Amino acid sequence: MNPQSQSSTPSYTINCRMIQEAAALERLCQVVRIRGFRIATMAVETAGEHLNIALTLEGTRPIAMLQSQLEKLHTVAEVALGSNSVARSRSA
Amino acid sequence: MNGAQHILDAFHRHNISTVFGYPGGCIMPLYDALVDDVGVEHVLCRHEQACALAADGYARASGKLGVCIATSGPGATNLITGVANAHRDSIPMLVITGQVPSGLIGTDAFQETDVLGMTLGIVKHSYLVDDADSLPAVMEEAMTLAQSGRPGPVWIDIPKDILLTEVAAAPAPTPAQPTASCPDLTDAIALLRAARKPLLYSGGGISLAHAEDRFRAFAESSALPAVVTLKGIGNPGKHNPYNLGMLGMHGSRAANKAVDECDLLLVIGARLDDRATGKLDGFAPNAKMIHIDADAAEINKLRPADLAIRGELNAILENLTGALTSKPLTIADWQRQCRTWHTTGGFSAADNEEPLAPITGPAFIRQLSRIAPDDTIVACDVGQHQMWVAQHYEFDHPRHHLTSGGLGTMGFGLPAAIGAQFADRDSTVINVTGDGSFMMNAQELATIRRYRLPVKLIIMDNQCLGMVRQQQELFYANRESQINLDDNPDFVAMARAFDIPALHIERTDQIRRGIETILAYDGPMLLHVAISREDNVWPIVKPGASNTDMIDETRRTSKANKEQVA
Ligand SMILES: Cc1ncc(C[n+]2csc(CCOP(=O)(O)OP(=O)(O)O)c2C)c(N)n1
Repeated sequence: MNPQSQSSTPSYTINCRMIQEAAALERLCQVVRIRGFRIATMAVETAGEHLNIALTLEGTRPIAMLQSQLEKLHTVAEVALGSNSVARSRSA
Repeated sequence: MNGAQHILDAFHRHNISTVFGYPGGCIMPLYDALVDDVGVEHVLCRHEQACALAADGYARASGKLGVCIATSGPGATNLITGVANAHRDSIPMLVITGQVPSGLIGTDAFQETDVLGMTLGIVKHSYLVDDADSLPAVMEEAMTLAQSGRPGPVWIDIPKDILLTEVAAAPAPTPAQPTASCPDLTDAIALLRAARKPLLYSGGGISLAHAEDRFRAFAESSALPAVVTLKGIGNPGKHNPYNLGMLGMHGSRAANKAVDECDLLLVIGARLDDRATGKLDGFAPNAKMIHIDADAAEINKLRPADLAIRGELNAILENLTGALTSKPLTIADWQRQCRTWHTTGGFSAADNEEPLAPITGPAFIRQLSRIAPDDTIVACDVGQHQMWVAQHYEFDHPRHHLTSGGLGTMGFGLPAAIGAQFADRDSTVINVTGDGSFMMNAQELATIRRYRLPVKLIIMDNQCLGMVRQQQELFYANRESQINLDDNPDFVAMARAFDIPALHIERTDQIRRGIETILAYDGPMLLHVAISREDNVWPIVKPGASNTDMIDETRRTSKANKEQVA
């Protein structure tokens, strides 16, 4: 892999709140993968009936497209794009 | 009531009277409950894939929820192609599978598969029920979800012990549907009025939203030239003078030309699929685009919209119709131009005057379209014959044309026809299939016989996987690879083995009588139509190329077909 090209891949932070259910995280990760993003970091916290999931994602496709696909998931209550996600390049 | 009885009770409360399924170990409690139930007709197909595809055909033809049922393990995995098919075409479907008992999940028990995990990408939503008392709420939510917004399959995987457990919880209330308000259309109407060459582009979203009538009214009153996607065929109606037909890879030259020339594209209920748009860079290069859809995720997905409107299509179409009726658009030159293109660049098929000439696909489908009753439902398979139906059969309603659009599933047609016939026992249902596709679910002839369904079967037999052969000829230097089917079984004898009478035709002068005979017969009948191996579907756009680069050799094919059948 060319490290140069990897370092120029845009990186985004996303916070997602979704209902806890069987396969909740798999459902989320599946959409992230198939829509063209790679999970760099992921932190999950349980909050009552919900999961709060903080993700750092990398990918060259428009992040708005992923956001609207995640929002479509029945158990996703909220998807917030982090303020540092303005398609910035990941620092090498 | 145990879990299994509760499921049937939920069916009754939702007026679900027909389900398609296949029994097995972990779903046996549900089949046991069915023994005492007279209100639900269970249709036993001969393969779970066919159960799912029949439920899909039932839903497409009726606009209602399709339901399929299977056991765990192989039963569930056999459903997958059919459920994926429904997912790709946004068909409302409820899938119920038995799972190994709760305590055995994760132990590699007999017939255990991780159904929830392996189906995540092909469902709108899914559940693994872990508590009998949650079943009422899960059932209600699943049925609502499958049919609301952008519909799709919802899968409920239920461990066997839960099917047997008494459910203490009362039936859950049906979740309230949000009331549809119409978004502001001022900008859309302004764009339409400013355009000199506006074009209406509609897809499968029209019937998914049950907006067929409102769309028809809008198309007629606006008199906008119109193109349709494969799944939008029938939207504008066959008598609409401005309907240019299907666009895209096998679209008409007229439709693709209009898209190329238009200055405003009004996209309604379509997702700009690559088979329709061709290479996106070259798609509608001069046009602004208004994109109206129920699914926010489709808007700006592939091509940014100049104006995006998300909302309920009935309300939007009603308001657009009102606005354009009170003050019609003045686009007479553009309408004239499109009609000229339609005359010179619509789908053409030479009706061969020579009685002994071999049958060509387009000529056969044109005759079928002329002879079959207006409300005939045609369920296609996948391949050249599917495209000939899309091009040459004149549909007056989108629910009359059942086709596997997004997934392109060979083997769809026969079970889908079965589902459609259950949706309406009185309508004429025809499965147009190829010799390759037919063999993918041929076991369903047994289902036709068992339920005495009067489905008509037409096999367009070119002794090969025609669509693949065509692409090998055109794009792989004619290097044929694994497409030969010249050792097909005797299809006429095969049908007869299932008690289905059958007829063989091969010459042009036999077409009319062949079609009339199967339609007149009071019961299922098969028509085996021998066609030339070399026939191609024209026009064609090379995958990945722009729609303006169509290859059209219609004339060459017709000439070759002047030869006579020996
Ligand atoms: C299940 C499945 N497998 C493979 C394909 C790829 N495929 C598309 S069309 C086609 C040939 C279809 O042959 P046939 O049913 O005889 O129809 P024809 O093209 O000859 O009209 C194939 C193999 C598919 N669409 N679906």
